[in-house]
Amino acid sequence: MHSPVEQFTIKVLYSLTFLGYDISFTNSSLFMVLAVLVSSGFLYFAMRPASLIPGKVQCLAEMMYEFVANILDSNVGKEGKPYFPFIFTLFLFILFSNLLGLIPYSYTVTSQIVVTFAMAFTIFIGVTLIGLFKHGLHFFSFFVPEGAPKVLLPLIILIEVISYLIRPVSLSVRLFANMLAGHTMLKVFAGLAVMMTGAGGFLLVSSPLPLLVIVALTGLELLVAMLQAYVFTILTCMYLNDALHLH
Amino acid sequence: MNKNHQVYFGFVLFSLYAQKALAAGDMSDSSGGLPQLDISTWPTQLFWLLITFSIGYIIISTLVAPSISTVLENRSDKISSDVQKAKNAQENAKKAFSSFEASLNEARTQASNTLANAVNEAKSDTAKREAALDKKLAANAKKAEDSLAEVRKETLSSLEELATEISQKIISDLTPVKVTKSVVKKHVSLHAKLQN
Repeated sequence: MHSPVEQFTIKVLYSLTFLGYDISFTNSSLFMVLAVLVSSGFLYFAMRPASLIPGKVQCLAEMMYEFVANILDSNVGKEGKPYFPFIFTLFLFILFSNLLGLIPYSYTVTSQIVVTFAMAFTIFIGVTLIGLFKHGLHFFSFFVPEGAPKVLLPLIILIEVISYLIRPVSLSVRLFANMLAGHTMLKVFAGLAVMMTGAGGFLLVSSPLPLLVIVALTGLELLVAMLQAYVFTILTCMYLNDALHLH
Repeated sequence: MNKNHQVYFGFVLFSLYAQKALAAGDMSDSSGGLPQLDISTWPTQLFWLLITFSIGYIIISTLVAPSISTVLENRSDKISSDVQKAKNAQENAKKAFSSFEASLNEARTQASNTLANAVNEAKSDTAKREAALDKKLAANAKKAEDSLAEVRKETLSSLEELATEISQKIISDLTPVKVTKSVVKKHVSLHAKLQN
């Protein structure tokens, strides 16, 4: 019997090295490629009719676009427009990675902390640079809340800086932990069902129960997959808003 | 959210424990740790994340997003132009209706004027005709009356004449008295007057 976390193992599909680094094409790489191809392919072909009165598929594509556009607009405003393609790509990449990961025997790219942290850290760096370019040294006033008592200021600034620096960690761990937990749980219940069938007797009779739980959990995981893509996107927009508008 | 998460992770821990308990006899082929913490797999993941995300960004920013935004813009343009058209049409309809109403009112007043004129004309005409008829009738009646009176007078005078003659005859036949015509006439006319 495999461990419930066995499913997260990276398997090399095609060995590659570059400057001494192992950059093999793996199952994770395959699903990254698939996430990009499926998401952009879906949107591209859904928008192919480009009709004034959209059909079902075109309507879905437009809804995804407007969903992200609304998140960006309500959190950042007009100044966020140039960042829309990035935010949209981010949303689609996470959403389709999460959704593709729910297909049995597939691989969940976002269940890897290194992937989510790389995205979160890139966003963190990018957002900080945007803030610095836009506001110069005035950017650091972001860490000084207005109207705070002078005595408490050193403590407050410390807390603000820590909470700012912790952002990439919380952003990445949230997505990673949700994916890890969800998939582990599915695997655990699947394993439970298999073991109960093997055990015979009362356990064999009651083995469909974990299967029912898996069905329910799959529904929940579908929700979590979409919700986490949404949360990641909306938090990115909030950080961008902080950088552009400093509170 | 937080409470849900606690329940969620509690559930995961419990199921992990249950799985371990059940699998106690089994040989586990995993090395024990999370595959996620195997640093040797990180470079490939970072490399492919960079490649795929960049390609995704290029596809979406050059192909997908513009095509969707074009469609959405066209639609909102079309909707606003249609709304403008509808507004214009409504205004035109309002104008047409008010002009129609004005002409209707005009026609109404004209019709009522014409009607009143016709009624007046007819009335005056009737009155005129009535007056003329009255006059004619009165004249006719007078004529008839006059002729009647004449006839009566004539008849009366001839009747007196006849009575006088008859009376003179009767007197001369029955009595030896000789009376003149004028005396008889005098009496007859007196009696006639008394009779009347």
